[in-house]
Order: sequence, then structure tokens, then C-alpha cells
Amino acid sequence: MKRKTGRWLLLSGAVLATLSLTACSGKSDSGKTEIELVQYKPEAVEVFEALEKAFNETHDDIHLTIESPSDAMTILKTRFIREDAPDIIGIGGDVNFSSFVDSDMLMDISDYAGLADIKQAYRDIDKELEYVPEDGVYAVPYVANAAGILYNREMFQEHGWEIPETWDEFMDLCEEIQSEGILPFYFGFKDVWTTLAPWNAMAVGLADPGVCREVNRGKTTFTEEYREVAEKMLALLPYGPDDPYAYDYNGACTAFANGESAMYTIGSYAVPQIKSVNPDMDIDSFVFPVNEKEEDNVLNSGVDLQFSVMADCKNKEAAYEVLDFLLRDESIQMYLDNQSAVPCKEGDFELPEILDGMAKYIDEGRMADYQDHYYPAEMSVDAQIQTFLMQGDVDAFLEKFDKDWVRYNRDIIRKVEAYEKEHPTND
Amino acid sequence: MKEKDNLNEKVNWPVTILLILGLVTVIFPLYMTIVIAFKQPSEMTNSVSGILSLPKQWSLSNFAEAMRVTDFWHSLGNSALITILTVVISIVVHSLIGYAVGRNKGSSKFYNFAYLYIVSGMFVPFAILMMPLVKQTSQMGLDNWVGVIILYVVFYMPMNLMLYSGYLKNIPIALEEAARVDGATTWTTYWKVIFPIMKPMHATVAVLTALGTWNDVMTPLVIMSGSGMTTLPLAQMTFQTQFGTNYNLAFASYLLALLPILIFYLICQKQILNGVVNGAVK
Amino acid sequence: MKKSSNDRSRTFLLITIPIMALFFCFNTLPLIKGAIYSFTNFKGYGSYDWVGLRNYIDLFQDGRVGGSYLFTFKLAIVATIVVNVLSLILALGLNSNIKGKSALRGAYFIPNILGALVVGYIFNYFFTYILPAIGKAAGIGFLSSSMLSNKNVAWLAVVIVCAWQSIAMNTIIYISGLQTVPEDVYEAGSLDGATGWKKFKNITFPLIFPFFTINMVLCVKNFLMVFDQIMALTKGGPAQSTESISYLIYQNGMGGGQFGFQSANAVVFFVVIVAISVFQLTVLGKKEEQL
Repeated sequence: MKRKTGRWLLLSGAVLATLSLTACSGKSDSGKTEIELVQYKPEAVEVFEALEKAFNETHDDIHLTIESPSDAMTILKTRFIREDAPDIIGIGGDVNFSSFVDSDMLMDISDYAGLADIKQAYRDIDKELEYVPEDGVYAVPYVANAAGILYNREMFQEHGWEIPETWDEFMDLCEEIQSEGILPFYFGFKDVWTTLAPWNAMAVGLADPGVCREVNRGKTTFTEEYREVAEKMLALLPYGPDDPYAYDYNGACTAFANGESAMYTIGSYAVPQIKSVNPDMDIDSFVFPVNEKEEDNVLNSGVDLQFSVMADCKNKEAAYEVLDFLLRDESIQMYLDNQSAVPCKEGDFELPEILDGMAKYIDEGRMADYQDHYYPAEMSVDAQIQTFLMQGDVDAFLEKFDKDWVRYNRDIIRKVEAYEKEHPTND
Repeated sequence: MKEKDNLNEKVNWPVTILLILGLVTVIFPLYMTIVIAFKQPSEMTNSVSGILSLPKQWSLSNFAEAMRVTDFWHSLGNSALITILTVVISIVVHSLIGYAVGRNKGSSKFYNFAYLYIVSGMFVPFAILMMPLVKQTSQMGLDNWVGVIILYVVFYMPMNLMLYSGYLKNIPIALEEAARVDGATTWTTYWKVIFPIMKPMHATVAVLTALGTWNDVMTPLVIMSGSGMTTLPLAQMTFQTQFGTNYNLAFASYLLALLPILIFYLICQKQILNGVVNGAVK
Repeated sequence: MKKSSNDRSRTFLLITIPIMALFFCFNTLPLIKGAIYSFTNFKGYGSYDWVGLRNYIDLFQDGRVGGSYLFTFKLAIVATIVVNVLSLILALGLNSNIKGKSALRGAYFIPNILGALVVGYIFNYFFTYILPAIGKAAGIGFLSSSMLSNKNVAWLAVVIVCAWQSIAMNTIIYISGLQTVPEDVYEAGSLDGATGWKKFKNITFPLIFPFFTINMVLCVKNFLMVFDQIMALTKGGPAQSTESISYLIYQNGMGGGQFGFQSANAVVFFVVIVAISVFQLTVLGKKEEQL
């Protein structure tokens, strides 16, 4: 009987050993330099699969692997813990980037020649994201997105509705749409992050772009800066569906695509999703008309995808070659066509149709970054906005915002204070 | 054996009918899943009739696309490998520890401690283990499917220990004593007498462990990510994205992910649902 | 006889020690490491500082953490009661003389096969689109809008989904329990005139009490650690009303930069859970012995 058990164990051992051998043999030892890129936009997987293929066909010495996992941030952070980072990461210009820079995870690529072709505005946005100004450059902005209001162009033309340019015109328009029995907006507030779309789009027009940094420096408070944004958020609700928290992003996109509402407060990134439901839909966009005067409005645009080389990447030259390839005009155009984005590179690109209404702002550079790119993820500002919209108490919301901000940014604020002490100047 | 006895008694029709009616709660969500899986996004209006109506055509295109996106056969193979090995190792290891601890925890402080120690492991939130485990498995070279299997064997140990030692209470110790009088060692007695007699519990453990392993997303996600290997549920996560969730594809993929475990269940169902306790207590 | 008892205890030790070592290595050791991180401001990567007890002090002043405890316990208690009552009834039904017994048992077990994520998504649809429409048609006010968007009832939706899935497993465990009850016990009981509720209370239930113990402990533990359902159904919303403790730890510990703080949360959570489980096991174990 003992023998039988022994055989059992032996058998499972043998199975394990064989399988681990087969599992390990997957990696190629062809002598090529391996470059691994992980990018965080799974919806762009087709573009990156094509780019990966094209790169490998034209390069004999480098083998490029591009991964586009969903939940890429968790995967990346997990791999950082494991000290098994990829060579290049493609992430958004948001608080994660700030945090990676702050933790010295990224390589200084100020010697990368391709940077010269990137629009200064976007390089500035990245610079702003650093908690305290660092020496060097840590990312190549690739594409930006724009958020405001998407509208059903066909429906607008049919009813003869004008694109509003001021807050009053906007409210009148909503009233008019509603009086004709059509729902002005659809909201997908069940997915809390969608509350940030109108929030950001209005905040750039109403609040100072550097508000978070100023708060960190103790110069102002959110109660002061965000009151109007909060009030105007509330003003949108009557023009949305009866229960704005019932539907998620997917549901709201579907409803908008099916013509159930005239407008949708979301960013250009939603267009591929909407078109998957209704491929022939004629969508255009306009900048959130949140001010009394048109000239005060600002387009909400941030870096949607940028590439950073990791600090422990061993093949800087090869990584730069990959970046060169990704930054070729035809690579970028391919991405734009597929994802309805705004290029960060200088040059004559064809903008997607849905950005028609925003083109003027893009040309003039009247843009500001998403405010939530400065919010720490763990503070869950999106959930707080959702709570606020349900309760409608502006004062309580802003008070909590200020209080939580101090708590969640404690370490950053201390860092900023130390920096200010060392570099007393500016204003 | 019970089926035969039942022939002599009257069928309880009211209970039968109530139970059949109750099945609606089980079947309705499944119906929804199947209908959604066969539809196209353009058929998904935000209304009940739009969702619950039968698809315009029973096209397999969603399934084909889902298989392509999730690399179905590869993921299936990986999931099967991990699940099967986890189940086999769990049955061997957990029945052993269940036996050792279950037989002694009444009389020995040490085994009682061992029991409480391992069972309380069930109450360790995975979230606290997650990051340290990621670091640890990577340092030990176990950031792959082997590590995932080891972790599963450890994660399911508390529950299976409880099941085995609970089950052992119903196995009279006299059985072992009889074997011992014949001169068999404890080890031999275990494999000859106890292990076979616990067969119904093996089936339960196998099913519980297999279900948990098969449906788990977090462990492979944090342990194996980047190893180029993916499991079926991990591949499902491709659909769980903020931007561009396609429910029709996702549901098609869920149905696909469901089929293998359904088949496994149908095979083991007899052992579990009919014979579970039969051979044991006599 | 002495020799064989030596062999017995040696064999038991040889089995127990290595397995306990394995368990220590992959459960207790990381737990200790996690506890150590709870004294840092570690983000999960990069450098970190020791912050002493700051995380623990913050923990007891954090409204969000408090809210998650309240929600999780409410869910666990209600769901445990609902699941155990329903699955015991179901098990008794499925164990009685019914037609198509094995088919029915097979069908009732199906929810347990589905991954919690899938179940979550299916019910997400149900609560968002189907139920409100039914509610409107039937003129039931509170059902006519999505349960998941109402912060007062969203937790009930989570209970329903948890129960829908857990009942299957608990029923199976109860059925295995019911089958350990030998027929002759009933026969003896019916001679004494025990029927119906009395029969259940005095004969059946005491005999299946060990299985009740298992179910209670499993239920409470599973529901206290509820995660997948939250992820798929509500993502903690609306208005952060359904953030379970595990969800918060994962969300802010892994996704956000709060690994150190959430480790402290997890340590406290662990202590709470162990306290509850030890309590359950001792109390129910004592009851078991009495019966």
C-alpha cells in the first residue's frame, strides 16, 4: 500500500516537472533584443497588435512585444512589486504617472530626439503633473483626448438646434430639447468615474488649472474654487434620465447611440464604444459652455496615452527605436483613425470628425488638463461626486473634499512644503 | 439505496411542484445569459423586451469572436491544468491533514491548536496576503502556475480540513483498530481503510476546490500576470473594462467558460448527489 | 500495543508538521509581512517610511472604513440568516420523496457553478433593466427604479445575489447531513409520535448540527469577505454605500496608493474575523457536544 502512495506522489511530481519544462520553453533565445511594452488602453488593442506586427517585420535586431491588458494599472503595480517591470509603459498623464515619477520608477529621457516634435503644451501638462518639479523628462505624450459634450448631429440638424456657447444658452437649449419631449442628456453615473467627465469639463472652465497644486501649497481651498462647478453639476441633473445612477457607462453609451438622448457629457474616448452599437451615427462634440462669455470657456484635454521608459530598462537604444516607430506619422494616424484621439505630435494629421466642434480650441491651444489627474485614486473623488449629486448638499460636499484632500495628500503636501522651503521664490 | 426505499412510499407532489416552481429563480438568469450571449450589441436596447426577446438570429459569431479574443483553447488548457492539479494535490494533502488532525484534536492540545491554526487561516483576508505573496512567490521563482497551485492548496486547506475532519467523526475508530490488530501501520491503515472510505468527501472536496479554483480571478491575476499564461476567467477580464464593455461578447465568453465546469459537474454530480454519504456510515 | 501507538503518533506528526510548515509559509508568513507593512506609508512600490501607529490612528477616524464595516456586517448577518433558512428548507424538500429528485438537485446546484463575476453581471442587468420594468408594470413604487441606484436598498440587492449563489452550496452540505441520518432513527421517532416540525427540531436538526456549524462558519466568513459580487454589481456605490471591507482594501491598497494604510485595515479586519470565528466554533462546538 505504501508503494501505491509513493507511486501517486511520484506521478504527480513527474507531471509537475514535465509541465514546468514545457511552460518554461516558451521564451525565444534568438539573440534579438527583447523589448516589452505594456500599455493601459485595452480598447486600442487592435492598433497595437498591428503596430507590433509591423515593427517586428521591419526590425531584425529587436523583437517587440506589446501587451494591452485590461486592469493594466494593477498588473503594472504588481509587476513593480515583483521587480519585473516591462521596458516601456504606455499610461495616461494622470496621478499614477506623478506617483511613478515621484518613486523614481521612470527613466529620464531628456536625450530622446523625438521629444522635439511633441507639442509644447502637452509636455507642459506632463511637467505640471510632477508633485515637485523634477529635473529631466519622464514621458513622451502620444495622444490626447478631449472631453465636453457629445451630441447627435443628425438630431440637432433635424430640430434646428444651435450649438450653445455660454451657460445661459446651454440651459435654454436643454429646456428647449426637453420641451420637445427629448431627453437632453444621458448619464451613466452607476459607473462613478463617469461623473468626472462633466466635472472635469466644467472645472477647467471655472477653476484655476493649478488649483490642486495651489491647495497643496496652502494658498486656496476647494470650497472656494469648486463651488460653482458643484452648483452647475447639480443644474444638469433635471435634464438627465429619471434615475441617473441606474445606468452604467455601457448602458449610457448604448442609450445615446440609440438616439434616446440628444447629448452625452463624456469624452472623445467614448466614441468607439458608441459606434460599436450604432456604426452610422453622426456624432459631433462641443466644448462645455460653462461660462457667461464664450471666450472664457476652455477645452478639457489631457494626455490620454504617453510612453515612459522604465528606469531599469537595459536597452535604452532599442527602447528609443521602438518609440521612434510609434511616433512615425503613419503609426499615429492609424491610432487616431481607430480611437478618435488628438495627436500630441506636431504635424498635419487628420482629426477625427467627432472633434469638429472642438477643433477651434485645439488649434488655439485653449486647453487645460483634467483636474482629476491630480486627485489621488484612493480619495475616490468620483464616488464623492456621486454621493453629492444624490444628496445635493454643496457645502457638505466641499467641506468633505477639503478635509479628505489634506488627509490623502499628507505625504505629498509635506514634500511640497519641504520643497518650498528649499526653493523660496515664485509668487 | 434510498431510491429503492422510496418506491414504497408515496411521492410528495406538493413539494415536488413547489420545487419545480422555485427553479424559475435559477433558470431565469440563465435564460437571460443565453439570450444576451447570442445577440448583437445593436439589439441591446435599454428595455426589457429588447433584452429578453429571443435574438433575431442564433448566430455563433459572438462565440467565435469571444474564443478569438480570449484565446479560448489556450486559456481553457491552462485553467484545466491548474484546476486538475490543484484538486488532485488537495485531495491527497487535505485528507491526510484532515485525518491526522481530526483524529487527534479531541485528545491532544497540539492537534487542537493545529486545527484552529489552519482553520483560522480561512479568515485571513486575501487582500492582506496579496502583496507580500506577490513578492514572496516571485523571490521563490513561483510567480507562475506552479505557485498558483501551491497557493490554492494552501487557501483551500482550512475549508477542506474542516470538511474532512467533520466527516471523520462519522467514521468509527473501531475500523482502524480492527486493521491495527491485524498488524497494519497507521500509514497503511489510512490508505487502505480511511482514504477509500472518505471517497464521498473526496468528491465534495474535489467539486468545491475545483469550482473555487476554476472561477478565481485574483490569484492568477496577481501571481501570473506577465508570465504570458492566462486562465479562462483571467481572459474574461479582457471584457471587464471601463471603456468599451461589450456585454454580448462577454456573456458569450462566460457561457463558454461555464461549459467545461458544467460537464465536470454533471459527471461528478452522481457521486455527490446520490452517493455522498452512502458508503460511509454503516 | 505501545509500539503501535508510537507508530500512530509518529505518523500523525510526520503528516502534520510538513503540511503546517507549508501553510505557515504561504499564509502566516505573508500575513506577518502584511502586518509589518501596516506600520509604513508604503504605496506598493518605490520607497517608503515608517509611520508608527499613524495608520491605525487614522483607521479609527476614517468614516469610509467605518461605513464599510457597517455595510459588511449588515450584509453578513442578513445573508447568513436568509441563506441558512432557505437552504435548510430546500434541503428538506430535496431530501423528501419527490419526483425527479436528482434532476432537481442538479438544477438547484447550478448557481454555484457560475463564477461570482458572471452572476454579478447577470444580476446587474436584472436589477438595472428587468426589475424596474416589472416594478413599473406592477405599480410597485420602490421597485420601479433600479435597486442598485438607491443607496438605501442597494445592499439588499447584494444580499439577493450572494444568497442566490450560496444557497446551492449550503443546501448540498445540508443534504449530505440529512443523508447521514439513518432511516431507523426516523422509524424510532415516528413510533414515539414525532412528526413535522417536532420531528425536525428534536431528531433531524440535532443530528445534522455539525453541518449547521460548517454552514454557519462558511457563510459568515464568505459574506464578511464579499468581493466579487461588489465588483460586478455596484463597485461600492451608490454613494459608497456598498463598499465591503475587502473591496475597500483591494481598491485603495492595490489600485490606490494606500497599501500601508489598507494593510492596517486588513490586520484589524483579520483580528475581527478570527474573533468571530473562534467564538462561533467554540459556541457551536459546545452545542454540538451537548446534543
